[in-house]
Amino acid sequence: MTKKEIFLSSAFTENSVWKQILGICSALAVTNLMSNSMVMGLGVIFTLALSGFTISLLREYIPKRIRMMVQTLIIASYVIVVDLFLRAFYPDMSEALGPYVGLIITNCIIMGRAEAFAGKNRPVDSLIDGIGAGFGYTLVLLLISTVRELFGFGSLLGREILGDWWTRWSIMVMAPSAFFMLAILIWIIEGPLQRKKLNKG
Amino acid sequence: MREGKKLFRESMLYPVFFMLIITIFFISILATLHLTTQDRIKEYKRIKLRTTILEIFALPLDDLDRYYEEHIREKKSGDIIYYVAFADTVVLGYCFPVMGNGLWGTISALLAVTPDFSTIVGFDILAQNETPGLGGRITESWFKNQFSGKKIIEDSTVLEFNLVAEGEITNNIQVNQITGATQSSKAVVKIITSEMKRIVGQFGKNYD
Repeated sequence: MTKKEIFLSSAFTENSVWKQILGICSALAVTNLMSNSMVMGLGVIFTLALSGFTISLLREYIPKRIRMMVQTLIIASYVIVVDLFLRAFYPDMSEALGPYVGLIITNCIIMGRAEAFAGKNRPVDSLIDGIGAGFGYTLVLLLISTVRELFGFGSLLGREILGDWWTRWSIMVMAPSAFFMLAILIWIIEGPLQRKKLNKG
Repeated sequence: MREGKKLFRESMLYPVFFMLIITIFFISILATLHLTTQDRIKEYKRIKLRTTILEIFALPLDDLDRYYEEHIREKKSGDIIYYVAFADTVVLGYCFPVMGNGLWGTISALLAVTPDFSTIVGFDILAQNETPGLGGRITESWFKNQFSGKKIIEDSTVLEFNLVAEGEITNNIQVNQITGATQSSKAVVKIITSEMKRIVGQFGKNYD
């Protein structure tokens, strides 16, 4: 696979969220404001790319039996780097995201890519795969949060879009709406593909 | 030589050895990063505390440290530090650090009251771990500011606030809760009441 194919595959055709239904918990939790989604997405891209790179670099040396322990250690280290960076340079963002930065560690996409890709491929390919998977994840977060923030708060990226006449949909701010939005998103993207498959079969 | 290397990599000790090395490696990186950023983080916390206190008393912020030293005295009672705000020699009010349980973690905040303790001057949140976008909205100014000017002590009892839906008109003992974050809203109200009781208990009538 060329580098471009790796990126496109992990970002779109094998998108972790809508294809593999991974990373759902955080995708639902931080999507009521676009700015939160953006920072969460960037944090995940950073962690995915660098943990993939590091794990791939060490793949020949990591003992098979303890590979998950090693992966967790590497992922956790990068997450702490993100957390410290936000605390020191973007304290407002760090406060807004609260515990979610720490929870990047438990994002199953990261371990999923480490197991499925980084453990078997070359470092640069793994880096690209990580960026791709992170990009795909961020894309989903942004799509969902655009709708949720617009209807729930009447704003986009914190800027007022719909005026006072707009009755805010409280459901959009709350967690259940994220489930609806995610389901609709999967339906829109995967529906036509599934139908095509059925027709062919 | 090659044989020996291969043997070591298959031995029981290799995973232990590997884990040890990699742990030491990553921990030293993180420790270095922590040491290089901790001053920044500390400085930010100091600025945040001073800004919040000045903001609560509606004092000017443009020259933070000068105004802080001019208007605020830090006092100690037991092991609690609290802050007294002055305008020249007139006491504007007292500001106490308060904390309690939120939905996910500890909420720590500042509660400022008038010199006679009867009315809330202001309330602001320093740190919280509520759900971003839901309970996290307790840091939004409309929510925090609705406590300002409300009576907290009447006939020497600490009042308890009732929560009403977001956007509804409130009376003296009501505050608007955040839609979708009932627990966090309740937590804030509870912290204010219970901490106020503690403060009154501790300082009684002689709180100078």
